Amino acid sequence: MLSRRVMLSALAASPAAMAFLRSEVARAADLAASGLVGELQGPTIITDPAKWPKTFAEAPMLAEQVKAGKLPPVAQRIPAEPLVWQPLNEIGTYGGTWRRAFTGPGDGENGNRIQSSDKPLHWSADGSKIVPCVAKGYTLSEDGKTYTLFLRKGMKWSDGAPFTADDFIFWFEDIYGNPDIVPTPTPEMRPKGKPGRMVKVDETTVRWDFDVPYYLFEEIMAGDTAMGGGQAVRQAAKISFGAYAPGHYLKQFLPKYSSLEAVNARAKQEGFENWVQMLHFKKDWELNTEVPVLGPWRTVRPINTAIWLLERNPYYYAVDTAGNQLPYFDKVQFTLAENLEIINLRAMAGEYDEQERHIDLGKLPVLLDNQDKGNYKVHLDLGFAGSDFMFHVNQSFNGDAEIRKWLTNADFRRALALGIDRDQLNETFWLGVGTPGSPAPGETMPQSPGPAWRTKWSTYDPATANKMLDGIGLAKKDSDGFRVRTDNGQRLRIEVIAIAAFLPYPKLSEMVADQWRKIGIQADVKEMERGLGFAKQTNNEHQLFVWNNGGTELLYLFPTWAVPVIPGAAFAPDYATWYSSGGAQGTKPDDPNILKIFDLYTEASSLKADGRNHNAQEIWKILVDQQYGIGTVGQSPAGLGVRLVSNKLGNIAARVCNAQHCRTPGNSHPETWYFKA
Amino acid sequence: MLTYLLRRLGLAAITIFAITLVTFVILHLPPVDFVTAYAAQAAASGSAISPAEADAMRLAYGLNQPLWVQYWKWISMVAVGDFGRSFEYGRPVTEVIGDRLWLTILLSIGAIIVTWGLALPIGIYSAVRQYSVGDYIFTFLGFIGLAIPGFLLALIVMYVGLRVFNMNVGGLFSSEYQLAPWTWAKLWDLMKHLPVPMLILALPGIAQLVRIMRANLLDELRRPYVVTARARGLAERRVILRYPVRAAMNPFASTIGYLLPYTVSGSVIISVVLSLPTVGPLLLHSLIAQDMLLGSTIILLLGVLTVFGTLLSDLLLMWIDPRIRLGQLR
Repeated sequence: MLSRRVMLSALAASPAAMAFLRSEVARAADLAASGLVGELQGPTIITDPAKWPKTFAEAPMLAEQVKAGKLPPVAQRIPAEPLVWQPLNEIGTYGGTWRRAFTGPGDGENGNRIQSSDKPLHWSADGSKIVPCVAKGYTLSEDGKTYTLFLRKGMKWSDGAPFTADDFIFWFEDIYGNPDIVPTPTPEMRPKGKPGRMVKVDETTVRWDFDVPYYLFEEIMAGDTAMGGGQAVRQAAKISFGAYAPGHYLKQFLPKYSSLEAVNARAKQEGFENWVQMLHFKKDWELNTEVPVLGPWRTVRPINTAIWLLERNPYYYAVDTAGNQLPYFDKVQFTLAENLEIINLRAMAGEYDEQERHIDLGKLPVLLDNQDKGNYKVHLDLGFAGSDFMFHVNQSFNGDAEIRKWLTNADFRRALALGIDRDQLNETFWLGVGTPGSPAPGETMPQSPGPAWRTKWSTYDPATANKMLDGIGLAKKDSDGFRVRTDNGQRLRIEVIAIAAFLPYPKLSEMVADQWRKIGIQADVKEMERGLGFAKQTNNEHQLFVWNNGGTELLYLFPTWAVPVIPGAAFAPDYATWYSSGGAQGTKPDDPNILKIFDLYTEASSLKADGRNHNAQEIWKILVDQQYGIGTVGQSPAGLGVRLVSNKLGNIAARVCNAQHCRTPGNSHPETWYFKA
Repeated sequence: MLTYLLRRLGLAAITIFAITLVTFVILHLPPVDFVTAYAAQAAASGSAISPAEADAMRLAYGLNQPLWVQYWKWISMVAVGDFGRSFEYGRPVTEVIGDRLWLTILLSIGAIIVTWGLALPIGIYSAVRQYSVGDYIFTFLGFIGLAIPGFLLALIVMYVGLRVFNMNVGGLFSSEYQLAPWTWAKLWDLMKHLPVPMLILALPGIAQLVRIMRANLLDELRRPYVVTARARGLAERRVILRYPVRAAMNPFASTIGYLLPYTVSGSVIISVVLSLPTVGPLLLHSLIAQDMLLGSTIILLLGVLTVFGTLLSDLLLMWIDPRIRLGQLR
């Protein structure tokens, strides 16, 4: 908190900025005093082999199986080069079931995230540095065209089969390379549209070759991306990315290794339509209890029942500094709840040992009230994204020429931004724990354009907003004081699509609509069911779309809610199609600022980290100045940031990195948590 | 009588076919498919499905085929008793529904028994002892039962249960019994969880039936045949139960048409609020998630049960009430 204050004191002393500064300092002091927001922390990786343990120990449940001759001894199960964790506070003890809630088979991310140490690479506890994970390291050639990943010698799948470079090549050639399984290649493997190749160097080394410089790839392999997301999330739900796959197990389901007739016959026999359907099931760790995995857990009772049960992976590749094979928990049990109210009520009763997903920030007072009774503690994990509730203004809207004229007018958007009382929103819906301002990422992030851009066009100033609206030709008002259209004299009505998620977005939008009355703007808030709202948005039918911009703090890993480069982006779906198809489909934007953003974004993939971050800062400056997205309040715990932890648990971080790339709570490494005796 | 029955059965078959068609078309009306809904859910929990991934999913689920091809695939499977695999659950639809079916039936039949067991005697009492203190009390409670929506009552009961009695919230099993094999202890655990949802499910029905029973019976009690029976010195108990109650029972019989599908779906909203592992929440969820095969199958099942329930209640009415029987045959 202190570092933010110091940075803010360097702010230019405009009255608005001073007011912002005062509220910001008061807010930081309140939060620190509340004891709910701690310091970012987590376990530490020991990379020096001299400090590695020489002998190893294992969980009692596995020791029994070793004794019974069902498992080889622990020293033979873990890699010659294991991942060694120094737990956050102390060496833990084995045992226990971690109880959690989930909402059904669509909630696979619930488990995928705690399984996220099956990613090739991960992020440090504060989310700032790329750290080893499944791979012990990587190199990127000076020209940026060759990326090399180094695996751990002697590492094994959860069934004991060796995990080698062959598993990467199997994925590349037999899964990714098969159009029946992967109809559309991922842009992440095609910098500037030129497909990359994967090559086996030796048993533990894989190399990627690209035709153009692609420095960004190092971030992609660590990000929550198609290539770097890991097996759990990228090979569930009929998706088939993830860079590696258990070849020794999956080959039996592929026609290439027997015949089309044979695999189809087997599929029919097991009740699948064809071999592709069977493969989608077999590679999905949420559904298939037999598929080998690399993460700390494996499914023993599938996600499509009332309880999703995970059990420890006996071949997991990580140990603590005392040589105990991780994880400490024996099992993870997700219990089905039909609705989120039930989850919050059960959480208050202390029925979950750790739960950050599906917990509602609006219930914070009751959650705090029940801390003693439920024997848990509440932590608030603030996010880094600039806005947890913002208006994405559709730049390619073409349903109504008059509306389009205003949506694409920078002063109109700026006036809307100045007409929002962010402090009122923050107090009402965030209980004051958010940071008001523009959508730019938090100042601690390397891509932040600087504190001055937090307040640019993003303070409450209805007088200026009114003047600007008068100035652009919207001076005429109707008898109720609302500005009227210039084409037919009717009231100008802006439609806002709001879906309830993270926060009660429709209610928040109503409050803003009410504030906009003071600048003579009529906003009609349309609350929509999730799927329908998104369908309208991707089809370019929305005017203003309400969402957050989570993930955009690392712009290139998760650009959707900031820049229109992936089809369907709310900013301008039609321009996004144009950009991602290389100009073949969609419409070319005529706004030079958007073209400038495209140039900066395209260039970034071939720049080293400093250059990439510089480009991102330049993009953010344009975004904030142009107000394509109107920010309100951000860097809050609204999404996945209200964390309830039982007092029985040990090695729990005071604050967890709450961000897309951190796979919250994945990079807090639940495999190092344990039940205190 | 036989031709009547055959005609009704024939109409039922056509109705059911129409239901499948309409169901399928209506479910496809929103511009949302399973993949869009799935991606929206991912977005709403802080993740994302990339366009390349969405393409792969559409191919895998056959969603890129025209609607009539999808319908033909489904209906020809249904014709041979195969309802396909749920998109979201990745298991055969029959298994997904089957998992929840017997608990749903148990709960619904329990709720119906509670409803009738309480509503009948209270309704009779209220009518016979009209304007007594007891009648006022039951009337008062009845109006409250009618006025409070079931889901609100469920929420209040849960909150009070949690704060005052430290009860488990929602569901039908305590967490330690969720995975346990069936034992007496688990059965006892289920028995402890059942009464509250049963009562909440039953309450609106009780209030409604008490009012109907009371009103109908009051009408009957003033009929000349009741006066005649009394004048002839028939025992009061016999006078009331033998004829007026029987005549006042018609509304009970006519609701059977709705009870049959109800036993399978339960009350959707109350089940969602109480997090009951029944078919109701499954139906709601399959519609939101656009899990077409699961949603279509549940609606088809409900349609079939409604059609047969209506037929059954018509036959039952003819059996209880000779007036209808004679009118029908004329």
